[in-house]
Amino acid sequence: MAKLRFEITKGEEIRYISHLDYASAIERAIIRAKLSAAYSEGFNPHMKISFASALAVGVTSQAEYMDLELLEEIELPQVVKRLVGTLPPGIQVKKAKYVTGKAPALMAIVNLATYDVIVPFAGAAEFDAVAESIRQFNEAGEVLFVRHTPKGRKEIEVKQYMAKPVVANVKEQAVHMQIEIKITAGGSIKPGEILEVLVNMFGLKVERDSALINRTGLYVTDAKNQVAPIDM
Amino acid sequence: MNAKYKVFFEAKIWRLFLFMITLDPAILNRVLKPARYTGNELNSVKKDHATVDVTVALALPDVYEVGMSNLGLKILYQILNNRPDTAAERVYAPWVDMEAEMRAHQIPLFTLESLKPVREFDVVGFSLQYEMSYSNVLNMLDLAGIPVLTAERTEQDPLIVGGGPCTFNAEPAANFFDCFILGEGEEIIEDMVGVVASWKQSGKVDGRVGLLKKLAQIEGMYVPSLYDVTYHADGTVAQVVPNCTEASKVVRKRVVKDLNKVEYATRPVVPYLDIVHDRIMLELFRGCTRGCRFCQAGVLYRPVRERTTETLLKLAHELVDSTGYSEISLTSLSSADYSCLPEVVQSLIDELKNKGVSISLPSLRIDSFSVELAQKLQQVRKSGLTFAPEAGTQRLRDVINKGVTEKNLEDSVRAAFQAGWSSVKLYFMMGLPSETDEDVLGIADLAYRVLDIYKEVKGRRGAKVTISVACFVPKPHTPFQWYGQNMSDEFERKQRLLRAKLGDRNISFNWHDARTSFLEGAFARGDRRLGQVLLTAWKNGARFDGWSEYFKYNVWIEAFAAANIDPHFYATRERNEDEVMPWDHLSSGATKEFLAREYKNALGETLTTDCRRGQCTACGVCPELDVKVIDWGNQA
Repeated sequence: MAKLRFEITKGEEIRYISHLDYASAIERAIIRAKLSAAYSEGFNPHMKISFASALAVGVTSQAEYMDLELLEEIELPQVVKRLVGTLPPGIQVKKAKYVTGKAPALMAIVNLATYDVIVPFAGAAEFDAVAESIRQFNEAGEVLFVRHTPKGRKEIEVKQYMAKPVVANVKEQAVHMQIEIKITAGGSIKPGEILEVLVNMFGLKVERDSALINRTGLYVTDAKNQVAPIDM
Repeated sequence: MNAKYKVFFEAKIWRLFLFMITLDPAILNRVLKPARYTGNELNSVKKDHATVDVTVALALPDVYEVGMSNLGLKILYQILNNRPDTAAERVYAPWVDMEAEMRAHQIPLFTLESLKPVREFDVVGFSLQYEMSYSNVLNMLDLAGIPVLTAERTEQDPLIVGGGPCTFNAEPAANFFDCFILGEGEEIIEDMVGVVASWKQSGKVDGRVGLLKKLAQIEGMYVPSLYDVTYHADGTVAQVVPNCTEASKVVRKRVVKDLNKVEYATRPVVPYLDIVHDRIMLELFRGCTRGCRFCQAGVLYRPVRERTTETLLKLAHELVDSTGYSEISLTSLSSADYSCLPEVVQSLIDELKNKGVSISLPSLRIDSFSVELAQKLQQVRKSGLTFAPEAGTQRLRDVINKGVTEKNLEDSVRAAFQAGWSSVKLYFMMGLPSETDEDVLGIADLAYRVLDIYKEVKGRRGAKVTISVACFVPKPHTPFQWYGQNMSDEFERKQRLLRAKLGDRNISFNWHDARTSFLEGAFARGDRRLGQVLLTAWKNGARFDGWSEYFKYNVWIEAFAAANIDPHFYATRERNEDEVMPWDHLSSGATKEFLAREYKNALGETLTTDCRRGQCTACGVCPELDVKVIDWGNQA
């Protein structure tokens, strides 16, 4: 058994596919690349592949991470070359390396996600109003958001997941924001949900439906360091 | 590039890219499953339209997940894109939420490859699988900005072509299509592209009519506007005759003589979304001559032509390599009848097991061979086996020529339970010719018998039986094309009768909506006058009629009333044997005499054998179309 870790992207071409669709597209690419992936035992075997964090429909990413188990070790440049040849448009391999079999699951170690959000103004651009909305959000002690899912409604305190204050700039009729979100064992919050809070509760006047969200990084952080899972 | 700028740059590109069709992220963020509309799937083919002579939009008038599952269109997509002079792209019906957005923002219907408006294509080909999808055809044409009526189109509009089983009685849709392809598309589609290309190169000589008259000379091509229909005073068709010399009196379907020699969809587009048939479809053979008398496909796809084992294995490997799918479904009208099935299955399992590829059979014959096979295929999840006895009593199964006995069913079910399955799904129809209440109740008897067999095998209760009962809709080109469909309230009475007898909680009972079947029946055997009904119903909001949540029965009934047409005339009226059918000029190769003989045999409860390995039943297809049965089991 050999365990590989990849840094890959989800580009514009496939912005609107779900995480599950993204994962099966990669599985099919691995089969086409004939990489002899390992499968789980049982009646319904699954490829031994795992991702750091699910990405929502409509969100792109320049840094997704996945681990893949192979039945045998293949030279790294070979692996990358074959996989690059079979991945669909919109998925690029940026980095790859072998990790030890005992490396903890990506899902368990990644605890920070960073995003860029570009969203056009609703009406005239008003920089001061934007700055004020963002300041109030950043300074608020506690912000409650209600998440509606098919399973029901759930009240979430948003600020506990903010790793840093939201940074906002205005450029060409659009607000550009950088948002850093903690991923915890108890849950997290989506950048789209923060945007919803900013619009509905802090008076940010933007066309929320038109937001373009891009994940810029996933990290493992502690008090001192912030490192991408591929660079550990 | 710095990360922040990269995002900004990409966002700009996206906007520019979409400017062509003015589709903006706000819309995609609002609609369900936006990936239905954004393309970029693996194996999709993007060509520069400036470098080709003919552009073809291949359409299926249903939502992406249904349209992407159609095997015929996958094959045509590959054949057309193999030609350097042709670009073929895909388009499906936008779901109702997307349609609303498109209408609100004046976004015309576009293809998934180039995101170009469909109206800029030379040809738009619709696959017509089901009569209840006609309203979606009109809606897609309208969304594309193409006049829905043939008569209103100009040289600037695309040629609108129909294909698929519905074309064998295309009359209700005749006013909306420029031409129809009868039969298998592999060869005729290239003939058609050739004609369109030379017509364009000639400077569109004689305009649209010139093109249609050229197309009419292709074997298998039906151009409805080149035929005039007259009617008797009683409303029945008097005759359908060509109004020009280019159109032949009878249009015969196209058949591929040898499936080993035609292109297959070896590089199908692999969707991101989970579609209806999200797996490799390996077509073993075409045609089925078991001769079930209700079955239209059994007549339309005659004769049986098998692919060789070598061809199939080669195709399977190519498909696994080009798609990365890990499941292969062995498709055909009756896959278990493939002459070398055990060999093919064994080879596929041996050669593909280490690649994690599993094999599945979509339909099972009612015999222990099929159950053994299912076991071999390691459908170990034991999720349930499906059988189709079609009718509840032996008498009625003889009427429909379903050569299955109660003992066959008992043996199969027993074998399935012994092999570890515990749930069985049984498909039936109600409203078959000569059906009595006793036949309907026979369905319940069979369901209980299956529960008892489980108890005999396992010594305890615990089987789950699902009974699905469709309303029988008589179809053109079948022995039952003369038969008057049951009235909706008769279907509903029979459904209540059966439900009252199916009290056991281990039996679940599903039935079809009788009113949908009634309208399907009217359109299946309708004539050209129904075009007016279709147009009115679509204008009044009919679409996605095959989806129960969008089916608007009253809109249809009002459209019939507005046109002063009685749907019962088409659906529930028993025809005279010598009546001219609206589709008599469209030939599947099977003669009307054969069909009439089979109807008499049905009512006489007389069985007819399968010509595949037995005696010829003189249906007419082989001599009429100069083809022959290809069954490798026969040659050995």
